[in-house]
Amino acid sequence: MMAVLPWATLFVCLALTAVRIPSAIRGENRMMLVLFVLISLDILLSIEGPYVLIDGWLGDFNLSNLLLRFLLYGTFLLMGIKVARAFASPGGERAIRGPLGLAVLGLTAVLTAFFFFSMDTGGSSVSLSAFDPGPALEIYAALGRFYPGYVAACLLPGIWRSVRRSGPVLLRAASATLLLGLGLLIVSQVFPLIPASVGWLRPLINYSAALASTLGLGGIWLSKAIAHRSSSAVTSTQ
Amino acid sequence: MSLPSKAFQRWLHGIAPNTSTADVCRFSGVKRTTLAQQLVRGKVAETSLVSISRAFDMNPFDALAQFEAYAALRGTPVPPTDAELVSQVSTMDLLRAVVQRSEPRDGLAPLVLADTPHATSVRNWVDAVDDGELRHRVSDATGIAPQNFSAHLTANRLPPELALSTSRAAGVGPAGGLVASGLVTEAEAGWPPGARRDALDRMTDGELALLAGERLQALGKALRRQEHELDDTNRIWENLG
Repeated sequence: MMAVLPWATLFVCLALTAVRIPSAIRGENRMMLVLFVLISLDILLSIEGPYVLIDGWLGDFNLSNLLLRFLLYGTFLLMGIKVARAFASPGGERAIRGPLGLAVLGLTAVLTAFFFFSMDTGGSSVSLSAFDPGPALEIYAALGRFYPGYVAACLLPGIWRSVRRSGPVLLRAASATLLLGLGLLIVSQVFPLIPASVGWLRPLINYSAALASTLGLGGIWLSKAIAHRSSSAVTSTQ
Repeated sequence: MSLPSKAFQRWLHGIAPNTSTADVCRFSGVKRTTLAQQLVRGKVAETSLVSISRAFDMNPFDALAQFEAYAALRGTPVPPTDAELVSQVSTMDLLRAVVQRSEPRDGLAPLVLADTPHATSVRNWVDAVDDGELRHRVSDATGIAPQNFSAHLTANRLPPELALSTSRAAGVGPAGGLVASGLVTEAEAGWPPGARRDALDRMTDGELALLAGERLQALGKALRRQEHELDDTNRIWENLG
């Protein structure tokens, strides 16, 4: 189960990336293609096989893990801006791309890099799981969860408002799925409190968050495609 | 609430003793699978009964009255109040009436009201019979939560049993809610022809203008809400679709 979930998530992300290519070629919403490529890359770098391979090219000292963190920050910055705008949440958008949001991002990025280089990270290990847990590693991992959680917290109120209002059923279901994914990212802030005996919960929460968020974004795309198809069918039969 | 299968089948046998269920469905346009399912569950929907009665040239209002739960419909019919009648005039017809009254012209065709029910007939009927405490009394009598009652009004729906309880709680005749929800027509409910038109004519210019204004206000709000929702949806699609 836990071995399948990452690959399933990657597959879903790649599929959702692929369906966006035609509209991106037409020039519609290219940023969403970029976002999906980023999400796919994030997932790819979270899976052991590809991680070890890519880290091997980068010198075998887990630089890919740092790269993954920065890719994740970029992913969430982009997603945060797009989603806040989509759900008409000016407060959320300000909190992400305004001075406060950029300060949070900058500080997180600098601290992430600082703690990474303060550790001896020789020997590829996905999620740095082969290393002895120490305060530096704990903080490094917490920083990596913090920024996505921060963005998720900024987005939740706007999406919640929209889910509660009426609108196309599929769109509301997709928004609710996205809401679930972002909610799980906030839950992931308490990872250190999860006892080792149920350690499998952590990857389960992480990949469920990624899967729910991408499925939610994909569902929004699907609801638009369906609505436009049925409205063009109506006009063509008139 | 709905009609018990046994009583329904007895009734059906009474009006169409030699007709198969398949034929009953064909004549009435009720889907066979739907009716079969309702019979198996022991709960036949009032709408099925209404369609079947119409197909057999029977007044659906009288047909309903034969069932125990609708005993309130028996006896001397209670005429609708003027407020109830006017509540079943559509907003556009009300506005036409305002225009016709303020600009009387010879040779103009008299206003022909659209058939019941109209787009906001349920809410308008409840407002017409509400003394301010009606919703509380209905909720006490039936156990329906006030927000569920409101949801029915917003959706312009009123289940027949709720329509009856509302009439009872409001102290008006039992037919109004059934007409407002579109289960039966005004003629089937025994409202005299032209009764809505006459009630409209009995209103003073001021009353008519105020009522039309209220309706227009409500229509405007509903339209704005729809426009906002459409804007929200389009914004999501533009950014993420």
